[in-house]
Amino acid sequence: MVADGETFQERAKGRDVRTSNIVAAKAVANAVRTSLGPRGMDKLMQLPSGEVLISNDGATILSKMNVLHPAAKMLVELSQSQDIEAGDGTTTVVVIAGALLESCGMLLSKGIHPAAIASSFVKAVESATKVLEDMSRPVDLNDREALINAVHTCLSSKVVSQNSDLLAPIAVDSVLGVLGDAEDRSKATNVDLRDVRMVRQIGGTVDDTELVNGLVFNKGSTKSAGGPAQIENAKIALIQFCLSAPKTDMDNNVVVSDYAAMDRILRDERKFILGLCKKIKKSGANVVLIQKSILRDAYNELSLHFLAKMGILVVTDIERPDVEFICRTLGCSPVAHPDGMSPDKLGTAAHVGDVALPGSGHKVVKFTGVKNPGRTMTVLLRGSNDLVLAEADRSVHDAQCVVRSLVKKRALIAGGGAAEIEASLRLRDMALGTTGVDSYCMKAFADALEAIPYTLAENAGMRPVDIVTELRRRHAAGDCGTGIDVKRGQVSDMYELDVVQPLLVSTSALNLSTETVCMLLKIDDLVVVQ
Amino acid sequence: MEQAFMEQGTTVDKGENARLASFVGAIAIADLVKTTLGPKGMDKILQRVSEQDQSVSVTNDGATILRSINIDNAAAKVLVDIAKVQDDEVGDGTTTVAVLCGELLREAEKLVAQRIHPQTISAGWRIARQCAREALEASAVDNGADETKFRDDLFRIARTTLSSKLLTHQKDYFANLAVDAVMRLKGSPNLDHIQVLKKAGGQLRDSYLEDGFLLDKSIGVGQPHRVENAKILIANTSMDTDKIKIYGSRVRVDSMQKVAEIEEAEKEKMRAKCGKIVAHGCNVFINRQLIYNLPESIFAEKGIMAIEHADFDGVERLAAVTGGEVVSTFDRPDLVTLGECKVIEEVMIGEDKVIRLGGCKSGEACTIVLRGASSHVLDEAERSLHDALCILQATVKEPRSVYGGGCTEILMASSIDRRVDETPGKKALAMSAFARALRELPAIVADNGGYDSAELVTQLRAAHAAGNTTFGLDMYNGTIGDMQELGVMESYKSKLAALLSASEAAEMILRCDDIIKAAPRQREPMY
Repeated sequence: MVADGETFQERAKGRDVRTSNIVAAKAVANAVRTSLGPRGMDKLMQLPSGEVLISNDGATILSKMNVLHPAAKMLVELSQSQDIEAGDGTTTVVVIAGALLESCGMLLSKGIHPAAIASSFVKAVESATKVLEDMSRPVDLNDREALINAVHTCLSSKVVSQNSDLLAPIAVDSVLGVLGDAEDRSKATNVDLRDVRMVRQIGGTVDDTELVNGLVFNKGSTKSAGGPAQIENAKIALIQFCLSAPKTDMDNNVVVSDYAAMDRILRDERKFILGLCKKIKKSGANVVLIQKSILRDAYNELSLHFLAKMGILVVTDIERPDVEFICRTLGCSPVAHPDGMSPDKLGTAAHVGDVALPGSGHKVVKFTGVKNPGRTMTVLLRGSNDLVLAEADRSVHDAQCVVRSLVKKRALIAGGGAAEIEASLRLRDMALGTTGVDSYCMKAFADALEAIPYTLAENAGMRPVDIVTELRRRHAAGDCGTGIDVKRGQVSDMYELDVVQPLLVSTSALNLSTETVCMLLKIDDLVVVQ
Repeated sequence: MEQAFMEQGTTVDKGENARLASFVGAIAIADLVKTTLGPKGMDKILQRVSEQDQSVSVTNDGATILRSINIDNAAAKVLVDIAKVQDDEVGDGTTTVAVLCGELLREAEKLVAQRIHPQTISAGWRIARQCAREALEASAVDNGADETKFRDDLFRIARTTLSSKLLTHQKDYFANLAVDAVMRLKGSPNLDHIQVLKKAGGQLRDSYLEDGFLLDKSIGVGQPHRVENAKILIANTSMDTDKIKIYGSRVRVDSMQKVAEIEEAEKEKMRAKCGKIVAHGCNVFINRQLIYNLPESIFAEKGIMAIEHADFDGVERLAAVTGGEVVSTFDRPDLVTLGECKVIEEVMIGEDKVIRLGGCKSGEACTIVLRGASSHVLDEAERSLHDALCILQATVKEPRSVYGGGCTEILMASSIDRRVDETPGKKALAMSAFARALRELPAIVADNGGYDSAELVTQLRAAHAAGNTTFGLDMYNGTIGDMQELGVMESYKSKLAALLSASEAAEMILRCDDIIKAAPRQREPMY
């Protein structure tokens, strides 16, 4: 039969394209690897608009980087995909992909066919996933402590890590609040994070961030015409019609022929608006939310004046996309026509009022004591400047994603590089048990996985070689939970330190990066088309 | 000489030059795509460079590559065209057809160098083609009558198609998916009923077949989020106020009161329209255009689920799968057929909520939800799946199948070789050239896999000569093997179409001796 068939004579072009892809993808991985882990550094990005952004989140950094090379673009997409799937581990996924590609370069230079590498990698990742699943520990969603621990691990690498004692419970409670009571929690398979509304308010510090079981608007109530600022037992109407002079869809001209007519028009307008306001009052509403309108004024001074006189609190400029969320939170339904005003369309809240935020003195409207039939949550984020605020927002979102990953797949796994080392060790064992290309590729895959603990140690200023070999030794001895304790600069059991992360984050990082690497491997040509 | 009667700027290539240009162009194109052939074929990055579009796609699909590149060579364009035709006809084998044509021309070049007249070559090719066709037909297996066997065939064909694509690692999974989807169609020729929805995130393995139809939209505020036994009115109408469509129309009034009255009248019209819609007895209203606040709240009051801004494709497909029709006037409820389905509800895929219509009137409807690491993976997965669906559908119509893995090519080549022995004259040379070109295909597949092609193809020939006519390349072990056992099947129709169109195109290119390029039309300078 065929002797030594496994020689791959590639075309010079194919090799060049592949090398250039690997180099480009590795460059991207190198750009973000220093941000991995609790001692990872942040990146400052200056956007073309002149805006400045500081982030530690891999997906955010990469999405702002204007990469040109097609292979680099794929890595950027990879991290976004991890963001969607698991929300966390966006840097990890890119670092793994970079390490895998580095191994590929080595395997290719040995003359192993790219397709063979790809299929071996797929086998390797399947085994690695199994290893991770075996070492993970199941978690109950009602075990709030465990969830908070997982969130702590995620937040430890962010700017806001000092505040993680405050933010972690907020993230956990907000997602659990959306899920509902214990029974619903056990049934849930996914969470829509859009049910948690993030309201950013500059001023104060991150410590002032709070979770509101209700609704917070980014601005205070409109009080240019006076009117109440606090309402107890509020009955809330959300109106989509405009409280201003009538306007038809066709062009209209009001023809004024004499002086008396002018007075009459002014009087008419007054009467018309008063009529609208009376209808609102009649329904029993004492808080009115007015949807923004682009076609005409949603409100004018006159209508505000009338509403103030009637003792109604007014919040203006509600965006249409927010309407759904507001309705679900307050239990009201939007009213599109004045005649449709009726008491059953109103939502209720125990208290509605302006709250001056500590620090800035800026006011926001807060709705508390809502019935909340739609299970929504609001997080009011505070921060001393835009950069901190934006980063805090991303961090809390990542933290919520961690909880969501646990809802999707209820298992926790040791962090601090423990999972990767364990998978790497087991794969190496398996490589010894197989022959041929598979064995070689599996070993290369195992080596690539060590990039995570290696980078983690490097970023923490430890000696990576010492740490990684020590980890290997401990894992070989059976301590599968051993990882890098970055804070103390040593190796210890991660489960004891409660450094845990969702299993989904680790498995999805492995699977997604392998998928992308396989795709990159199979490319042998770059064709420029129109 | 041509200058005497042709417009200025026209160029003419003649005889030797013209033929050379054709050969070079066609062979270059074939070489470009030939590395994508077979289960270990490579992919290409397509980098777009136009001003608006700088995007990148990664593909293994011959038709996609050929469609995208810009070429300025007549013969190369012919190759692109036949690949397109193959894509339209059967959906798969697009690379094969271009490569086969290229290989035929490569052989023809040698024959022409031996001073054999192109007409003689094409005469020989025709005999060879006929001979190959007969061999192909004789080897085809028809399992159309036996349902379980046929399903097995379909599964194998899908697997073979997918094995050369991105989905190769999950080919069993996706082959099943594709077969299930096509079997649901029950022979209906409309692939529209299979919707492919791409959602980034997750792995390819997380893709699944959803019974029913998914609509990537959201339900209006305050309306029911789950409707059972839905009666769906699908419309394409503007649900903002019906403006009087007279240019420059305006109203002149002398008091505010009247403006208010007109505004009220406008709203009243809207209300009347909504009333008419409700009178159809529907409980779900899906509109292609926006639905504004007022009608939305009216529908909410009536407990009707209203979905706005379903795009054009979505609306047409919805009409097809729910058995309704797209309506834009609402005066005659008795003439309108409403779409029906068992249940409409919201489901979550990844981070997004989509609306699922389950138990549609036409049971064929289904959606394949594709998940993957990036949009490139998703796009390529969609293309691969589309190829598989097309080929399966073609097989449902023409149930015969043949063995893949280069088996059929060798079979045809051997059959031609036998005929060569009986054919006197120079035609015989052309015929053996045809056989050589056919044998090139398994050789390329082997080369792409990094195997010794000369060794494998000769072994394969010997196996066929020894009577093992189901033998082909086993690309996973780098040996030859029985394709029947390995389950490598291809559609007869696709093979036949590839054979015929490649040889016809090659013949056409071969017979040309002049290339006349018309002068480009002068553009008016822009000042």
